Order: sequence, then C-alpha cells, then structure tokens
Amino acid sequence: MKQDLIGRFREVNQTFPRTREIIDFKNNGGMVFGWFCTYVPEEIIHAAGGLPIRIVGHSTETELEDGTAYFYVNNCSFSRSCLQLGLRHEYDFLDGIVGGSTCDGARRLFDLWRIYIQTPFHCIMTVPRKYTDRAHDLYNSQVKHFKDLLEEFVDLPITDEALLKSIALFNESRELLRSLYDLRRLDSPPISGAEIMEILNASFRMPKELFNQHLQELLHELQQSDGGRPKPLRIMLVGSVLTNPQFVKSIEDLGAIVVCDELCTSTRYWSDLVVLGNGLPPLQALSRRYLNNFPCARMYPSTERFDRIVALAKAFGVHGVISETIRYCVPYAHDLPLLADHLKQEGLPMLTLDVEHGTPGSGQIQTRVQAFFEMLEARTL
Amino acid sequence: MTSSLQNTNRIDALVRATRLMYRMSKARPEPRQSELLYYQMLIRYYERLLKARENGDFVAAHTVFFPSEVLYAMDIAPMHLETTSWMTALFLGEYADLLAAGAELGLASEICSPHRGLAGAFSIGALPKPDVVLWSNMVCDNTAKSGELLMKITGCPGHFLDHPFQDSSEEIAYFTDELKEMVAFLEDHSGRKMDWDRLSLVVGNMDKQLEILRSIHELRKAIPSPFHPQGFLELLTVDYLFAGHPEATEYLETLRQELEEAIAQGKGAVAKERYRLMTLFLPPMYLIGFLEKMSQEFGAVSVAEPFFCQWGDGKLDPKRPLESVALKSYMIPEMNMYAPMGDRAITKIRTAAQEFRIDGAIYYADVGCRHTCATIKLFKDILDDMDIPVLTLDCDVVDPTITSQEEIRGKLEGFFELLDDR
Ligand code: SF4
Ligand code: SF4
Repeated sequence: MKQDLIGRFREVNQTFPRTREIIDFKNNGGMVFGWFCTYVPEEIIHAAGGLPIRIVGHSTETELEDGTAYFYVNNCSFSRSCLQLGLRHEYDFLDGIVGGSTCDGARRLFDLWRIYIQTPFHCIMTVPRKYTDRAHDLYNSQVKHFKDLLEEFVDLPITDEALLKSIALFNESRELLRSLYDLRRLDSPPISGAEIMEILNASFRMPKELFNQHLQELLHELQQSDGGRPKPLRIMLVGSVLTNPQFVKSIEDLGAIVVCDELCTSTRYWSDLVVLGNGLPPLQALSRRYLNNFPCARMYPSTERFDRIVALAKAFGVHGVISETIRYCVPYAHDLPLLADHLKQEGLPMLTLDVEHGTPGSGQIQTRVQAFFEMLEARTL
Repeated sequence: MTSSLQNTNRIDALVRATRLMYRMSKARPEPRQSELLYYQMLIRYYERLLKARENGDFVAAHTVFFPSEVLYAMDIAPMHLETTSWMTALFLGEYADLLAAGAELGLASEICSPHRGLAGAFSIGALPKPDVVLWSNMVCDNTAKSGELLMKITGCPGHFLDHPFQDSSEEIAYFTDELKEMVAFLEDHSGRKMDWDRLSLVVGNMDKQLEILRSIHELRKAIPSPFHPQGFLELLTVDYLFAGHPEATEYLETLRQELEEAIAQGKGAVAKERYRLMTLFLPPMYLIGFLEKMSQEFGAVSVAEPFFCQWGDGKLDPKRPLESVALKSYMIPEMNMYAPMGDRAITKIRTAAQEFRIDGAIYYADVGCRHTCATIKLFKDILDDMDIPVLTLDCDVVDPTITSQEEIRGKLEGFFELLDDR
C-alpha cells in the first residue's frame, strides 16, 4: 500500500516534464509557468490561474551536449541540464518563465533560456542578499512588479482574495510536508530518505491540490505503520540541488538512514509558512516569507543558514552530515570551509562530496561514504 | 584559520616590481608619459599599503568594483583584492603557493583562482592583515561569497554591500542606502568621519574622468589604433585603484593627448597593424608580456573591449555625492555582464564590432569565471552573424597550469592564419 502511494509520486517524476497532469491542465486551457529558483513566489502564479512548476534538469546523470555548448563546461551541471531539456523542446508547453538574481548559474540560465528558447512570458526579479527592512521593501517591490507583469500577460487581475486562497493551499502543502518530516524524527522512520525524495520531487512538478491529496493519503498510511528496526546511523544531507533518489539510496544502502536534509529541492523549498495577520497585505506576507525563508548559500550572513542546519541536525538527532556540492556551484563551494568549522564546533562531523547533478552515486563516492560511516560508528560506540 | 605554508610579503615584492617596471619604462628611447604616471601611481598605492602600519593608516581590503571613491574621501588606505591578486601573477609570476594555501583551507577548484589565491595569501600572511574587509556582489558569486571567509581568516570586521541586479529607481535608492550604511560602518571602525565636501570633489573628478574615458574610447576607433595592444588593462586598473583621484585625471588626460598626437601623425601602436581585435574578458595575467610581444610580431591590436572600456551614459552630480557613487556603479562597463543579459549588452557587442572595424575576437574563457563563460556561445552567435570569427582560449587568469604559453601561441597563430585566409 505504502509503495502504491509513493508510486503515484514516482509516476509524476518519471514522466516529467510531460506529465499527465500538466498536459490535462494545458488541454483545459490553463497556462503553465516554470520557475527557476525557490525565491519565486509560486502562489502568485497560482492566484493568476496558472500552474507553477519548477524547471529542473534530468534527475539522472546524462550527457549534456547542448547545455554545455550554450553554457560552457564551467557552469553547474544543474543549470546545464535544465537548459538542455529546454533546448530539446521538453518544456515547450510553458507559457512563461520566472527567475531571480540568485546566483550566476541561475541568472545566466534565465538569460540563455529567454534568448534561445523564447518562452512567451519572462520575468526576473532582483533578490536582495540581506534581510534588512530595506531589503524586504525592495524585494516586495520586485514581487509586486512580477505580479503586475503577470496580470497584464494573463489579462486578469490577481485579487487579494485569490492570493489568500493560494497561500492557504501552499501552506497546507508545507504543513503536510512538515508532518511527513516529523515521522523522520522517530527512532525508526517509516519512510526512507530515498522515498522522501520521490515525494519532494513531485511536490514542485504537479498541481498542489492533487499533491496535497496524495500526500494526505500517504501520511495516513505511514502513521499506521512501524518503521522496523532502527538504523545505526542517522544522516543529514546538505547542499544545493539534488533530485536523484538513487543517490540517497546508495548512501542508505551502506547502513544508514537519511533523516533530514537542507537542499534547494527539499527543506529550503518548503519549510517556512507564509504568515498572515497583523493587517499584512497578502503580497507583502508572501514576499516576507520568500526572502526570510530557509536561506540559500547566496544570502548574507551565512550564519543564518549554518544555524538553521545545526538546529535541524539536532532536532532530527543526526550522527553526521553529508554535504553535496554540484561541481561549479560557487555559492555552496564557498560556504564549505566556514560550514565545516561551524559544524565542528557543534560536534557534527561532515563529509563533503563534489558531484555532478543527477549522479546516482559512484563507486568512489560510496567508498568515501563508507569510510565516513565507519568513522561515525566508531564515535557513536 | 591558518596554513602551514610559507609566508613572504607580496606587497613588498609588488613595490619592488612596480619600481622596476617604472625604471624600465623610463629607460625606453621614447618613454610613454602616461605609462610613467601609471607606474608612479601603482608604486604609491603599494608603498602606502606597505607602510600602513607604521604610518597609522587605516586599511580597508575590498573586492572588485567596490566604490573606492568613498574610501578616498575618508582617507582610508584601500587594498583592492582581485587586482592585488592578479598583480602578484603579473609582476611576480608566482602564484602556486597561494593557490595551494587556498586549497588547504578547503576551497574547491570551482572557486575562481584570484579568490582562492587571496584567501590563501591572507592565511599564510603573504598579504598583510587589513583593518576591515569590504565586499560586494559586484560582479559575481565569487565576489559575493568571498568576504565572510576573509573575515574569518584575518579576524577583521567586515561589511557586505548588496548591489541590486537591475537598475530601477528603487534599486538605485537601495544601493545608495547600502552606501550610507557602509559609511557609518567605516566611521565606527576607523574613527574617521566622512568628509562630504571631499566626496563631492572626488565625484566631480570622477565625472571628469568618465568624460575622458569616453573620449579615449572614441579615439581608439582610429586606424591604425594609437593605443598599445593590451593597454586596456591600464585603463581598468586606473578605475579599480584610483577612481576620483586627481592623479588619475592627469594620467587620463596625458593618455588622451598622446593618442590624439599619434592619430595626427598616423602612428599606430604596432609597427604594422594587421588585425583589429575585440577582447572579451581578461587574458592570463602571467602572459601579458608574452601577449604584448605577439601583438607586435603579428600586428594584432586589441581595439575594443565592450565590457571593460565602454562606459555607460550619464553624468555624476557632485551635489549628490553618494547617489552619484551609486549611479556610477551602474555605468561600469562590466556591469553589463552582471545585469540581465539584455539588448543593451548585445547591442554593445554589435556596435563595437562595427564601429571599431574589428577583424576577429578573442574570448578568454577563464575556467573559474562562470558568468563570463556562459555568454561565449551567445556572443559568438552575434559575431558569427556579422561574419567575424571568434577564438575561444581556455585559460585561467592567474594559474599557469591550465594553459601553457605554447598552447596559446599555437592557437593565436592558427587564428591569425584564419584571418589571413579570409
Ligand atoms: S545554487 Fe549552485 S547548483 Fe543551484 S543554480 Fe546556482 S550554481 Fe547551480
Ligand atoms: S574572475 Fe570572474 S568569477 Fe572571478 S572575481 Fe572576476 S568576475 Fe568573478
């Protein structure tokens, strides 16, 4: 039963980008908008009647001839993989793309996509790197600008009422994911890290209404089940983008369970709620949430990110942290010496892996992980 | 965070190297006055840093495009990080130990070598400890991410200047406020007050310099090109290190006059100009001397560098000094590479190719510089449409292990042959 329920998410992932849900949505006259980065408030697209989906590349390691020819080899394989799919017409159904000035890879991906793929609607927002009041004001004005452009494009007003409804729907998704993660805190989590990744991948690839429904059913099932024997090692994954469940499985197969993660495609995507109240207009509540959300390595000061990683690691009782950095991902690579120091002070060992996007985990990676686990086991004995 | 590697003071070595360069330039049969002024400025810059401690100077280390005008107005000694990094490669020709020290800190090879080397240099004491570290996200992730690590290595306080990506009025106002906050930070830490009258003067100087820079740019359209083959590096450095300084105005005025005279006499920078080139991004610093020689040998001159020498329009207003500093940050030629890659940058390439009558373009594909490499295909496509060949040279701005001199020579010779065949 659990496998069947997870299978629904897996099916979305296996057919993405041309999923049944997206095709149905288009056939019913809906508009689909791709977003490039977790700093894009999806609720605005939803409130405009559109379907927001995340633009991601292949989840497995593949040749990236086109992506590399346009991007050059020294840009991260995640961006190259996204562009590759775009150039191969896999995303031709998109009506628009929305990005943010988050990192060199992401902004150039937006540039190249706009120029070579020419999706009709495009908007890139300036995303400040600070959390000051002024930064919030600036970001809010960017979000408003995006909303105005989108209204013009869909030729419909995006009302506060519609925004509130979308916020409620997306918050529900976040709450459900939190409940799912709460199960991972148990001594014997009823779901593996690799399975969680299937769910996370689907979370940004399908309509939220359907995702929430599927997740609710899965949660119900998981809450009844017991996780079996506890695994000796509890691991946290940190880093940029990771969407290949095989990679997580290859780690777990070595005798551990991944119980939490801090990735652009996991906790950093869903963790924080949009907080309404105090008379805050919905658009402002949205922009506050997105700028204050679990930070990407691009934000300053980095200690915000490091402190939240430590808090998560403690809350989930992890024995060690594995950092995966996609090759040529400068923001995350730059944080590593400081993060290693920070975690060391907290008594948390970290293994750093330099990978290509989509890798299932090579033999060399497994050898390093194995050695790391042996070290952790020696410590925990 | 320290390293076990050897410490040798690079500032001291830079002072000696720039003095030597000055003497060599002066000894030439027809020394170029502007070049002498350039080396004098460099000597003074590094001498000030060398003697900063004994003179009680307050030293601010800062990343590229950081508005050093503000430091000048506050009489704070600047240490331009990336320039110091590549000057080390250019004049001293040694960088391996700095990169090794960077690697020892855990910096991965995807981080651009000037930044890996810088972190390494501070960790082994090859660069003196500044009083504060200042950095911004102009113009890439490496600059944006470098400051916190440098703060940790040096134990210095630091301040990050957040430069918005686009140039709406809200964004320019945001950046002006960022500058205000930075001035307050500097006042707190240096105990020096901002001299607003002096900042107005500096902005006035800067405005004058922009006007001269724009006219120099125009003069370089002449055939044969009056400007020496890799001369744009001097122009870059002058803005990086001496923006708003009266000496920089003197240098630029002298250079402009020299170019006017050369044009009047029909004198080119190389004996026989054969190829007019567009340079896209930075050549390897450790090969500059060699590239100069090759330029002479083959009659190849860089005449246009749209992202280094083509300044944006607009005037600075000394009555609104901080706003002007903010505005200037958007006029910097390289900022076209930071902003959305829109029509503005694309038009720049096209018009520069036409107006400067270029025969070919050389794209220095610096392995560590991601955002500049991500436009290779795009710019190549634009130039292809104009039937202008582009040579992409894989290299690294400071690390000689990436491409050898022989390889570069081979590729350049092949490219010149291709130009001949057309
Ligand atoms: S954060 Fe890293 S992995 Fe993600 S797009 Fe930017 S450079 Fe690529
Ligand atoms: S070389 Fe490129 S990556 Fe390095 S600091 Fe300069 S612009 Fe940034």
